[in-house]
Amino acid sequence: MRRSLLLRTLPAAALALLGLAWQPALADDAKPYAGQTISVLLPPWGTLPKALTDRFTAKTGIKVELQSLGWDDIHAKILTSMVAGTAPADVTEVDWSWVGQFAAAGWYQPLDKVVDTAVLADTPAAKIFTAGGKLIAMPYNNDFRILIVNREHLKQAGIDTLPKTPDEVLAAARAIKQKGIARYPLALPLSATEGTSTAWYLLTKAFGGDLFDADMKPTFTDPNSAGYKALAFEIDALKEGLIDPAATGLTDVQMQQLFTDGKVSIDLAGWAGNPAVYDDKAKSKVAGQIATGMMPGTGGKSRTLGLPEALGIPATAEHKEAAQAFIAWWAQKDTQADVYAALGDLPPRLSALKALNEQGKLTGGDTLLAQAGTVEPLFAGGTPDWYPQFSSTVSTSINQAAKGQMTVAEAIAAIAEGAKEAMEP
Amino acid sequence: MAAALPLSARPSRRFAASDALLGWALLAPIVAVMLSLVFIPLGVTLVDSLYRVDPMRAGQPFIGLRHYVDLLTDATVRTGWANTFALVVICVVLETVGGIAAALLLDRIRTGRMWLLAAVIVPWALPPVVNAIVWLWIYNPSYGLLNNILQAMGLIGERVVWFNDRTTALFLVAIVHVWRMLPLTAIIVLAALQSVPEELYEAARLDGAGPLRSFTTITLPLIAGALGIAMTQSTVFAFNLFDEAWILAGASLDTRTVLIQVYMSAFQQLHFSYGMALSVLLMLASLAVSLFYVLRVYRETRID
Repeated sequence: MRRSLLLRTLPAAALALLGLAWQPALADDAKPYAGQTISVLLPPWGTLPKALTDRFTAKTGIKVELQSLGWDDIHAKILTSMVAGTAPADVTEVDWSWVGQFAAAGWYQPLDKVVDTAVLADTPAAKIFTAGGKLIAMPYNNDFRILIVNREHLKQAGIDTLPKTPDEVLAAARAIKQKGIARYPLALPLSATEGTSTAWYLLTKAFGGDLFDADMKPTFTDPNSAGYKALAFEIDALKEGLIDPAATGLTDVQMQQLFTDGKVSIDLAGWAGNPAVYDDKAKSKVAGQIATGMMPGTGGKSRTLGLPEALGIPATAEHKEAAQAFIAWWAQKDTQADVYAALGDLPPRLSALKALNEQGKLTGGDTLLAQAGTVEPLFAGGTPDWYPQFSSTVSTSINQAAKGQMTVAEAIAAIAEGAKEAMEP
Repeated sequence: MAAALPLSARPSRRFAASDALLGWALLAPIVAVMLSLVFIPLGVTLVDSLYRVDPMRAGQPFIGLRHYVDLLTDATVRTGWANTFALVVICVVLETVGGIAAALLLDRIRTGRMWLLAAVIVPWALPPVVNAIVWLWIYNPSYGLLNNILQAMGLIGERVVWFNDRTTALFLVAIVHVWRMLPLTAIIVLAALQSVPEELYEAARLDGAGPLRSFTTITLPLIAGALGIAMTQSTVFAFNLFDEAWILAGASLDTRTVLIQVYMSAFQQLHFSYGMALSVLLMLASLAVSLFYVLRVYRETRID
């Protein structure tokens, strides 16, 4: 009798222990990884203040060594480390655009069993980091694009409502320019950088289209297509003097700086986390003057693009379990709210977003919540491994068109050819 | 006496053997360094460029010269070559002419030369990234010094976005590189100038030679060796130009060098062996050009 009870109890106990092992315990009395130090490699906007990491250390006993690097540099560091068979860090940045590459190379440890299913369901952006049915990174910010305007500039130009279509955006920009409120009212990057590509993808959606069909054939080559119209929109606005000619050398972040300086009026590809920055007196000259709106679109519909960033654990990481505990901690609602307060990273969990809005802590909260429901991934089937090569062709071609070295038609043809080459095995 | 000869010869052979051993022992560290850091990686790169090494794809099949054939038809790579050759020409010419001029001036200065030399080598001593960032501010279309100066002089009306024109962009990138590398050429040439005997110039003056003739018949031949070294380093560094172009214009096709293309292929697009093949071609081009004109300069200016 006692033996049968033991036999029945043992598997249950084993399962319970296994469950504990997979879900790193965060309770004060369970600190299995206390004393370990994990390295965390993130860009400046993900680099937590010490007060927050100290809180994690107090909970788990795990020390955090934060490394802050530029976004591009992190990519290069991950690549070189992984090829050399070493770990760039125990936890690293994983951008949505790297997912195809990293998944194909098998460089990141699946996190499906690390994060609770309820948390995953509450984090729609997690789908973007799922490749081959496996979650390779857990979102830590909820970057999608919205319309951000300098309300005062629009008001001075006699415009009371936010533009809802691309044509209304142009009309507003023209009015602002004519009245001499801003010399170049429209902020759109046109340099050979990733931000230029993503702005074009976003505008393609705004014009009601997509880049590829279900067979991954380009759908932007027809002059009536959304992608073609989106590029023509950008180049025409530049020629009309609505975009600064220096935009050919400016990144999206530098464009945002122009907005905070009050030099531009309409941030057409605004980051969802930026209203908090633009409205912060310590960081912006236009604090208190901004308004947020849904991404302008055609056909009465607003569409936007999800470009989130996530935390992943390299397969070569030394302290995987402690790294899992860190990711699980960051996935908590409270942590995400604290990170938003400290860094402006919009929480990827919808419940955290709603809670912040209810507390009145979310700048442009209603817009963000409404737009969050319309977020689409750029690639419905997951970011392909050829994306970086394609994206490089996109930004280079747009940059050349903006410099007058290519027509819109030539740039579109170059992008289509670049897509074909990138997809070649 | 006959028996004494071998006895006296024996120690000298022993000394010779120990000299040879000492020579090899002294050479060993540099041989080890060159093997491990240059020749073995070079060999690995050469071999890997014949395979498809791409972490996103399973296996590493042998593909022979396919990458090299693809590189010939890659329009982006061709643009990179055109940019690189243009930069090499501009940089080598400006660094050589400017370096000789700076060295001649420094050679004439007797007091305070030490301080002047220290000031001259500052751009060379600074990290290339720092140099490039300083120049990025100078070229900035909104608040840059270059636009301000030209506007103040009345040479331009509107502010100019310098990097919107390909030729200007290439020239401005080259200027930043020249700014950094010219001091090295100047120092090399100055060292050679100081070894030219003053009597030769006096003799030439007595024979009625002017400064230009003295320069072409005495100075230039006697500094030819140093000039060859200076031009070789100028060429190699210009072929490997990366930081300045990357910081000033990023991945822009107008200023994208072959080395930037290597970086993008290997480390952004993860086509490692494609990047390796391109880097092999870059090394060969750099060697060939350096060898060509170094030999030519040496042949035309040497004194037998």
